[in-house]
Amino acid sequence: MADTVAVPPRQARRKVLPEGVFAWSLVAPAMLFIGIIVAWPLVETFRLSFTDAGLGGETYVGWSNYAELFHSGKFYDIVYRTFYWMFLSVSLKLVMGLIGASLLNAAVPGKALFRVLVMPPWVIPIDFGVIGWKWLYNGYFGFLSGILQRLGIIADPIALLAQKTSAFYAAIVTDVWVGTPMVTLFLLAAMQGVSRDLYEAAWVDGAGRWYRFRRITIPQIMPVIVSMALLSAIWTFNSFEIIWILTEGGPRGATTTLIIDTYKVAISSQRFGEGAARAVVIVGLLTAFSLLYLYFLNKVNKHYGAK
Amino acid sequence: MTNFKTLTLGAILLSGSALSAQAEELHFIMCGGEVRAADQAVIDEFTASHEGVTVNMEAVPWGTCQDKSMQLAAAGDPPSIAYMGSRTLRQLANNDLIVPVTFTPEQEAAYQPGVLSTVTVGGQYWGIPHAFSTKALYINCDVVEAAGAECKAPETWEDLIALAKTVTDNTDAAGIGIAGKDFDNTMHMFLDFLYSNGGEVFDADGNPALDSQATRETLQLYADLLPYMEAGPTEWERDAMKDLFNDGQIAMYVTGPWGKGQHNAEIHQLIAPIPHGPSGPSGTILITDSIAVFKGTGHEDLAIELAKALTSGAAQYDLDSSWGLTPILQYENLGVADPYYTHDDWPVFVAGISTGGPEPLVEDFKALQAVFTNMVQGIMLADGTVDDLVTTAGEELAAVR
Repeated sequence: MADTVAVPPRQARRKVLPEGVFAWSLVAPAMLFIGIIVAWPLVETFRLSFTDAGLGGETYVGWSNYAELFHSGKFYDIVYRTFYWMFLSVSLKLVMGLIGASLLNAAVPGKALFRVLVMPPWVIPIDFGVIGWKWLYNGYFGFLSGILQRLGIIADPIALLAQKTSAFYAAIVTDVWVGTPMVTLFLLAAMQGVSRDLYEAAWVDGAGRWYRFRRITIPQIMPVIVSMALLSAIWTFNSFEIIWILTEGGPRGATTTLIIDTYKVAISSQRFGEGAARAVVIVGLLTAFSLLYLYFLNKVNKHYGAK
Repeated sequence: MTNFKTLTLGAILLSGSALSAQAEELHFIMCGGEVRAADQAVIDEFTASHEGVTVNMEAVPWGTCQDKSMQLAAAGDPPSIAYMGSRTLRQLANNDLIVPVTFTPEQEAAYQPGVLSTVTVGGQYWGIPHAFSTKALYINCDVVEAAGAECKAPETWEDLIALAKTVTDNTDAAGIGIAGKDFDNTMHMFLDFLYSNGGEVFDADGNPALDSQATRETLQLYADLLPYMEAGPTEWERDAMKDLFNDGQIAMYVTGPWGKGQHNAEIHQLIAPIPHGPSGPSGTILITDSIAVFKGTGHEDLAIELAKALTSGAAQYDLDSSWGLTPILQYENLGVADPYYTHDDWPVFVAGISTGGPEPLVEDFKALQAVFTNMVQGIMLADGTVDDLVTTAGEELAAVR
């Protein structure tokens, strides 16, 4: 019987990194990247919020920036306005997006063209679009006021951005115009993933269009609706350009949301410490909102059987 | 002419004495969105006489320019030199971001009265004034006459209200354009009227003095004019009103001497002193924009040299006359024969120099601006009574640094 020499497998001959170290080495670049562009600015903002940092340096002031903020009645008005702005705008985007996606999902001739036509508000640079809306709203040279006057509905020019209430709702309309296409396309993609078999079975059983939409489409795309609601809420909460270009937060603070207030304090007035405190509050509010949302998302997914 | 020549010669000699031949780039932020030909000519001459020196001009619109200069300075990357509103100087000086400037007694004497006070903080000069303005009332006589009224300058606020009402009642135009947007010239226009009523923002000792009868009367003027203003005044800033004026949509508004050059030539216009209120004579706000030299660039001396070249003698006269600015120097005392501001409607603007009031210098000028826009918008949006709004403004002013 010939001697046999046990040949170790090739892998065993190599000096292998422990699995944990190997995994960390793969993750490390991403962690480093996130640490530099996310964590460090966040920590720095938090640190800055305890100082009176301005143009000429900074000194530690403890909690006084927060104390001043929470003792200001204006701050609570701004928080309320921000959530109201977010709630109204996101609701409208979801409703419009759902209607738009349903129409684009219908078997109509030329639907590919309509799917392209829905995208411009999302595709064109936001500043261009909003400047266009600003012109539409102008009392003297604007389209809306001109049409209303021409039709005899109003006698004098109406400046929608000049009054507190109309400026607020005009800003929401513009925000909805910018944000709806993305919601539409995401919901359309979700609708296209719903099995045709479900609709056919329901149709055979005599279910009407509205019933099928309500009992098949909505439940099937619910996780996407909820996800879009969260993303849209965060973007709307932090929406800056639209309000800034239209009204800069005016008139008389009627369109000042938390992000606009933070910009005015931190950048326009160079009160970086006070601005940082506001930024930290925004992070806190959005974190709380996101956690609450994730809790509900989990419930929704369980209810509709999604993983 | 001797003094004028001396100043000009001094500036040229100073700018000609190139400090060194090593390559240096001056970063020059020019607020207003454009570099005027008169300034560019001086800059070209400066770079030609300084081997290796270049000037990187960055023209930025007013809306963002001052914030940009300050942010760069705060971030440790200051521009070498910036042309900006003198109202920013206190904040920059108090935070040690700009270098002080010195003038010879001869140079000091050359400025119009009150001009150097707009760049003075703590007894030192912190910028070189480069543009100066006073304001007047522009009247579109075509619109006024279409309303059946005589195109005559209103002298008092009562006359002004009556004329605005006549225009509004009898034409499609609004009687008057008033700035109410969240912008600095909303404050400036209010101060034009406040200073035409003997009012003040701070008293001689620097104490807040806005909560006064003069301010109440001025805000009441705004309330009385409200039915005759352009639609949505909180949407309008002064410079945009030239379009309404040119379009015949407003009969009157207050602006600086450059307005004449911005208005359509075919408009028959009248330029008059700002009507006065019950408590004082006609006045105007005196505003300057200045050139500031930033610290920490390593070539501050070179930047000051350029600033002096831009603001001295003939160069400044070229800018003032070509742009249509209220004269910042007393050119007649410098030997200029027949200066541009002795003709046409210029005496209206020049007369305002002696009766005008200053743009208040505070550290947080955005907060100061907010005090005024809150008050003005408050009356325009019927958010409060004159008394309450002025009281609140007084309290807010006391909190401004």
